[in-house]
Amino acid sequence: MPFKKTPQKFAAAMKTVELGTGDKKIVLGGESVLPFYSFDAPIENAPKVGVEIVDTLLEGAPAQMKEFYAGCETMADMAKKAATIEGVDFITLRFESADPNGADTSVEECVANAKAVSEAVDLPLVIMGCKNNEKDAQIFDKCSEALAGKNILVLAAKEENYKAVGAAAGLAYNQKVGAESSVDINLAKQLNVLMTQLGVNADSIVMNPGSATAGYGFEYVISTLDRIRLAALGQNDTTLQMPIITPVASETWNVKESMASEADMPEWGDVETRGIDMEVATATAVLAAGSHGVIVRHPQSVTTLSKLIHALI
Amino acid sequence: MALKGIDIFKMSPKKNCKECGVPTCMAFSMKVAAGALPIEKCPYMGEDVIAKLSEATAPPMKTIKAGDLSMGGETVLFRHEKTFVSKTLYAVNVSDDMENADQVLADLQKVDYERIGEREYVEFINVTRVNGGDAFVELAKKAAGLGRQVILNVECPACAEAALEAIKDAKPILNGATVENAEKMNELAAKYGVVLGVKAADLDTLYDLTAKIEGMGNKNLILNVSTASIKEAFADAVQIRRAALKNTDRTFGYPAIVDVAALAPGDQAMQTALASLFTMKYGSIVIMETMTYAQALPLYGLRQNLFTDPQKPMKVEPGIYPLNGADENAPCAITVDFALTYFVVSGEMERSGVPVNLLISDAGGYSVLTAWAAGKLSSSSIAKFVKETVEPKVKSRTLILPGKVAVLKGEVQDKLPDWNVVIGPREAVELVQYLKEFNN
Amino acid sequence: MAKFVTIGERLSTTAPAVNKAFLERDPEPILMRAKQQLDAGAVYLDVNIGPAESYGPDLMKWAVQLLQSNFDNVPLALDTSNMQAIEAGISVYNRAKGKPIVNSADAAGRIEYIDLAAANDAIIIALCNGEGIAADNDERMAYCQTMLERGLEHGMETDDMWFDPLFLVIKGMQDKQMDILEFIKMLSDMDLKSTGGLSNNSNGMPKHIRPIMDSAMVAMAMQCGLTSAIVNPNDLRLMETIKSCDVIKNNILYADSYLEL
Repeated sequence: MPFKKTPQKFAAAMKTVELGTGDKKIVLGGESVLPFYSFDAPIENAPKVGVEIVDTLLEGAPAQMKEFYAGCETMADMAKKAATIEGVDFITLRFESADPNGADTSVEECVANAKAVSEAVDLPLVIMGCKNNEKDAQIFDKCSEALAGKNILVLAAKEENYKAVGAAAGLAYNQKVGAESSVDINLAKQLNVLMTQLGVNADSIVMNPGSATAGYGFEYVISTLDRIRLAALGQNDTTLQMPIITPVASETWNVKESMASEADMPEWGDVETRGIDMEVATATAVLAAGSHGVIVRHPQSVTTLSKLIHALI
Repeated sequence: MALKGIDIFKMSPKKNCKECGVPTCMAFSMKVAAGALPIEKCPYMGEDVIAKLSEATAPPMKTIKAGDLSMGGETVLFRHEKTFVSKTLYAVNVSDDMENADQVLADLQKVDYERIGEREYVEFINVTRVNGGDAFVELAKKAAGLGRQVILNVECPACAEAALEAIKDAKPILNGATVENAEKMNELAAKYGVVLGVKAADLDTLYDLTAKIEGMGNKNLILNVSTASIKEAFADAVQIRRAALKNTDRTFGYPAIVDVAALAPGDQAMQTALASLFTMKYGSIVIMETMTYAQALPLYGLRQNLFTDPQKPMKVEPGIYPLNGADENAPCAITVDFALTYFVVSGEMERSGVPVNLLISDAGGYSVLTAWAAGKLSSSSIAKFVKETVEPKVKSRTLILPGKVAVLKGEVQDKLPDWNVVIGPREAVELVQYLKEFNN
Repeated sequence: MAKFVTIGERLSTTAPAVNKAFLERDPEPILMRAKQQLDAGAVYLDVNIGPAESYGPDLMKWAVQLLQSNFDNVPLALDTSNMQAIEAGISVYNRAKGKPIVNSADAAGRIEYIDLAAANDAIIIALCNGEGIAADNDERMAYCQTMLERGLEHGMETDDMWFDPLFLVIKGMQDKQMDILEFIKMLSDMDLKSTGGLSNNSNGMPKHIRPIMDSAMVAMAMQCGLTSAIVNPNDLRLMETIKSCDVIKNNILYADSYLEL
């Protein structure tokens, strides 16, 4: 009696969202199966890998990464270099220093940087802020205006600022808008509903339902992603069919395992390898649970993840 | 998972004879499914039906044991549905043609630490036969001497028997049985009372071979997923587990071995990625070339999160945790013993670089606000902990309270008059800035 | 578990305006009522053309095409005692949004409706009745079994057989209500789907009471496992109750805006 294969193809599908323009345009989502279950039904759009560039440039970066970006003095320099990484699909700019409680870099400076990057590379762009809701709304507004027609993604609108972000990026400038919640599936759904009620097209929304580092309450991330995918596909919940993007780097490079120097933790070995493995393991787990795009920092992480994705699809 | 009433009904005589004491066959089937009546109450139910029913009450996936380690026994495909019961176990591979086998054996022992009450180490050593002969037996002996469970990765029955005889008390997993050697290997597994690993070129052959070995009376098995490609390995792992749990196909109701070392030889980062993938999606044993700290830290952390029981909060030991080289004069900051709180708070404190004595009080494994609401983080519990545990060891008399329980400040100050009680930030992310300013 | 399936009941010849529109093939009143029901969240629409002996096939075709072409192939329940009319309706039916429902069979004179549904790959509503109302749940279960066997013989999947316990009017049969609920529970324990004309329970009650009684009934019935009902979707209280029960049963994921979805 042969093995009876019973493919689990769902009647519903994730929505597709396009980022960028021209040859380098990417498409997120679209499949009717669980992550990488290409044995159930074909997955047309492979998950995408983005590289993160922070506006503090290489401050605190490990040795190989500094070497890779050697000579880069601006975000645009780094973006140009990042675009050469094998397997990179998009570029993420994170304006960490814009935090009013930190260096408080001006919105104008952020916009100038974003514009310079968009002129230097033709990969799709994702803009992240500094986690200050008001400042982020301003950055997203002005970047959306300055990069009109570039089909960028602003990451992301939250419960506190979705009206401002949605109205500017989504409605006024026709860019793509991220909807961010923090491992709260009911809020993830609610934000999607609120954004569509605001008038943002459902095909312009990407979800970030929260991230964490492997080992740090990561089970909540897994279950949130599992449940979103099962509701979207199994229950045909159209308010949860938006593709998912997960910023991994901003979490994984801040934990002790990735930061403690080899001098402090001699048995742990090379700090850079630890950072890469933490980033790769976390990003893989996020992809396996349901993300359509991950954002990582180290060039080797980008290449490894891209190879893994293409081996699986 | 038991048979549903409707499945029993379909096999019932459907004659509504009432001899069972129930008016209809439907109602009878329902009662059998619910366990209210034994199926034997029906005089007309066929023997095949009764056999099928008793099989259906068995668990969908067997629990297989190697020493004290358990694999399988899962009942759900997603952790939110219930809980995963047997965590993924990791193995490092050595083979009898490796020049540096001793080094590999020495290195894999370096990773051995505790994380939230769990020992993290390489549970298995996968001993691969390439040349065979004495070299293989000797390597198996060395591996077995290290206090880890052993997998004998060998397809030659004579080599397998020699190694089994040499380390029979260690009860290694015999991996494995192939289409060519199944009878002989099965005899060996029975003779030495060990788990038998099943290997085949593709899923259909694996299914047939497993059924065949089950037919020989052996149900102490573990299945190997494909090593041909990453894509096939993943497809196998998912389909084996799904067949067992979703379709209750018991032929595939066994744990699975994934040989990541064979899927991405020489590529450490890729092996880390694959180990993560197969920890998430359904590897019971994952074999790697190495397990360095760089690999172990994320993988064991992921595993601990994934296999945690949602009903039981993860707790860390209460006590004084000196951070950033804190001595007895460094200020104290108190929080709860919920593992996630501890990790986030200690991580941010370490990022600040400011020496702090982090005090973890026994709060039942709850987060700050939950513990406070449940009365497990109160002025009395804090005062008692500080007096009994902290004062004998720490000279500093500065105590930082979590911002979320600022309301406790007055009472704590009253109960600890020698201390300067201050309010910390509400969120962990604000700790870096807070401590830096605090220090100035 | 799947979301509760509401079948809108307002396209029925028993309503004079609808009857007139059917006879005159006047689209306007039909489309208006269909839109009202869909906007209110109905999943299926019931099309009850009555016995329609001579003109049934023609009328059902007209109604199916009218509704499906105007409302994105809305799934329909074809409700008539004229079997030819049902077949005619199915012959022009588009399945993109769901199989047609045949409304309805029973265990006596209308048992062939099951054969009809099976032959046309349709869903059947199977009323657990013989000649007259079943006296108790043993009898209901016997009827259910008869129809289930018939469906299985004709190759139907059990998921396509929706059993109707027959909701009984409270004013007059108050003492039978718990039996009905218990029967729904029995169907649910058998993993069988169920539906029925829910508002029958409140027949004859003052108008302002009916939504309250219907809401209570649907909540209790959903707790027992009812998977669908034929209802007036423009009863806001009822629809809000159904959505809330769907959330509690984890059939749909909660969000603050769940009532608006």
